[in-house]
Amino acid sequence: MVKSTLKYIFLISFLALIISCIRDKAKTIRFSSWQSNPSEKRLTDSLLHCFAKKYPEYKVKFELIPGNYSEKIQLMLGTHSAPQVFYVKDFVAPSYLRYDVLQPLNEYIDRDTSFDKNDFYPQFLNAFTKNGKIYGIPKDFGCYVLFYNIDMFKAAGLSEPPKDWTELEEFSKKLTKDINGDGKTDQYGIVVEPSIDKLMPFVFQNMGSFQDKDANLTLNTPEFQGALEYYYGLYSKKIATIPTDVSMNNIEEVFGRKRAAMVISGGWFVPQLKDQYKDVNYKVAFLPKGKQMATIAFTVSYSSPKENPLKEESWKLLSYLTGKEGMTVWTSTGIAMPTRKSVASGLDYINHPEYKIFMGSVDFAKVFQVDYNERWFSIAQSAMQAIFYERADIPQKLKQMENDIKSLRLKK
Amino acid sequence: MLPGIYMNDAISVRIKINMKRNSSTKKEQQFWAYTFLFFPLMLLTIFVFIPILFSFVISFFDWELMASHQKFAGLNNYIEIFGDKIFYKALVNTVFYTIGVVPIQTLLALFLAFVMNQKIRGRAFFRTAFYIPAVTSSVVTSIIFVAIYSKEGLLNSLLGNLGIQPNDWLTNPKTVLISIMMLNIWTTSGYFMVSFLAGLQNIPASLYEAARLEGATQSQQFWHITVPMVRPVTYFVVVMSLIGCFQVFDQVFVMSEGGPNNASTTMAYYVYQNGFKYFRLGYGAAAAILLAGIIMIVTVIQKKYFPPYPY
Repeated sequence: MVKSTLKYIFLISFLALIISCIRDKAKTIRFSSWQSNPSEKRLTDSLLHCFAKKYPEYKVKFELIPGNYSEKIQLMLGTHSAPQVFYVKDFVAPSYLRYDVLQPLNEYIDRDTSFDKNDFYPQFLNAFTKNGKIYGIPKDFGCYVLFYNIDMFKAAGLSEPPKDWTELEEFSKKLTKDINGDGKTDQYGIVVEPSIDKLMPFVFQNMGSFQDKDANLTLNTPEFQGALEYYYGLYSKKIATIPTDVSMNNIEEVFGRKRAAMVISGGWFVPQLKDQYKDVNYKVAFLPKGKQMATIAFTVSYSSPKENPLKEESWKLLSYLTGKEGMTVWTSTGIAMPTRKSVASGLDYINHPEYKIFMGSVDFAKVFQVDYNERWFSIAQSAMQAIFYERADIPQKLKQMENDIKSLRLKK
Repeated sequence: MLPGIYMNDAISVRIKINMKRNSSTKKEQQFWAYTFLFFPLMLLTIFVFIPILFSFVISFFDWELMASHQKFAGLNNYIEIFGDKIFYKALVNTVFYTIGVVPIQTLLALFLAFVMNQKIRGRAFFRTAFYIPAVTSSVVTSIIFVAIYSKEGLLNSLLGNLGIQPNDWLTNPKTVLISIMMLNIWTTSGYFMVSFLAGLQNIPASLYEAARLEGATQSQQFWHITVPMVRPVTYFVVVMSLIGCFQVFDQVFVMSEGGPNNASTTMAYYVYQNGFKYFRLGYGAAAAILLAGIIMIVTVIQKKYFPPYPY
């Protein structure tokens, strides 16, 4: 008797558990992102906490994707199990927008009077727009700027950062030194990297591009080739170094450990400089001008899948995260820069000694997107490595690179 | 007579009973055998056989994960692979890797097993020490070797003592593959040593005794008794390490990501790259089928020309 009652109690509670799970699931907004450092985790937590306070009726479940983010999201989209709100990088956006998997947000934006899409810097919103449809709202941006070591500049008798290509080369020459006199260079003018994204600002400065308006490759133009020759020239003239030559992992480390006086990096490098390389006395400046001012910017959006039972709820979360309030919380630590003009002026980043350089770069920053299958990137990297490590012939390598990438054009 | 008849009867009855019992136990045995086989077989079917079949199907499609309709591509994936320079590079790298690793690994494992089979002091310790890399996660050993191979790492500082210039082993296109090969030889020879040890222990001691009486030296004993007697084990080891080498992936993934300039891209990494980095699942599947074909051909050739029991 007791046994059978127990059995029933167990069974009923089990059923209740399942039902509650299902009901719970139906109401919960799943939210996924990657996380590049612990402070980003704290920030996400506090942002979601603010949302929960303001809208207690919505439940958000945060599902962290620690590695291979884009692979995992694509698999989830393909198997109809994607979270309701997730990050999309500008870099992969063209291949996502090609499929009909993300939710166009125009109708929600138009309906939501407090949202104000004109508040965004247009190039960041455009990165997630196709044929007039907006598939993601940029949450923040970062861009390449020039970090320079003030002490080294002073020691070389320089007071200002280089303004243009001629000065960059000239200053680098002055800053390259053999300090202990053993015949080996201990300090280089600048640290570069055989990487396409580090080359692109120079290409844009030289009025060049990776692809034209119709997405045809423009690698074999004098502008592209000239930029590559200049960039590689810094290295071949031995006034620049690369991380592997000084046994370090990345260019930031080379700058932080005082083996180079200049480095091109982004806002993510600032916290690292403050924690790990406290003794480096540095300043940031705009990238030197070529034929024009240019740099590249990186942005990440919040997007929603098209297959989504919680469209209204997702928009609530999405519009909070990218709204004035959410973005102010998110960018208040300076880890990334706001994509809304009102937030930038609200936080007074426009006058901040360091952040004003990042904010000022927006005027000439380009989001670097390519309408080719992701494989183009490893082809480009291989070509860059061949040029730097094996001294491959530049025009020939560019021709080969264009040939290899050409067939990878995204359809449609 | 009587007892005889009785006995016959008794025997026949017992045989009958035995037969009955036999047939019932046989049925019962079969029942239980299939019951126990069912679950692993089901799991294998779901997670191995169906995926293999499915990847074969996929390889004929332009399969894109996020697209709603998959386009049939016929043999296009295969045709494209044969025109892909990186594929040939991956193939050459894999063959070079296999040719370098398998013989050294097998010889080293046999040699270690031979030494470990002697009555030497601290034998248990050495056996454990050589086997530890085999039970350690390959990701962990890879990360340790990344540190060892780095420009300011252990290897360069040891070579520096000999007056050799430091080299960045993993970013130098000329040394990256060899570095990964050395790691693989180190991790797996301990594993195969255990197989050889088992084989060595099956060799009757009388053979060595006889050889000693005839005045054979240690090395003669090794080449003329040990090597031929462990031939079945050698066959097993060579097949397993051939397959392992053709499929080498995790070390490449952790240590070099196929770089620099594809100098360490192997077949398995090429498959992964195309399937899950470039999201061309059909193309990746086609490459995987080709890899499976190559492994099968090599194994068949090996079985035909180097059989386990030649006598």
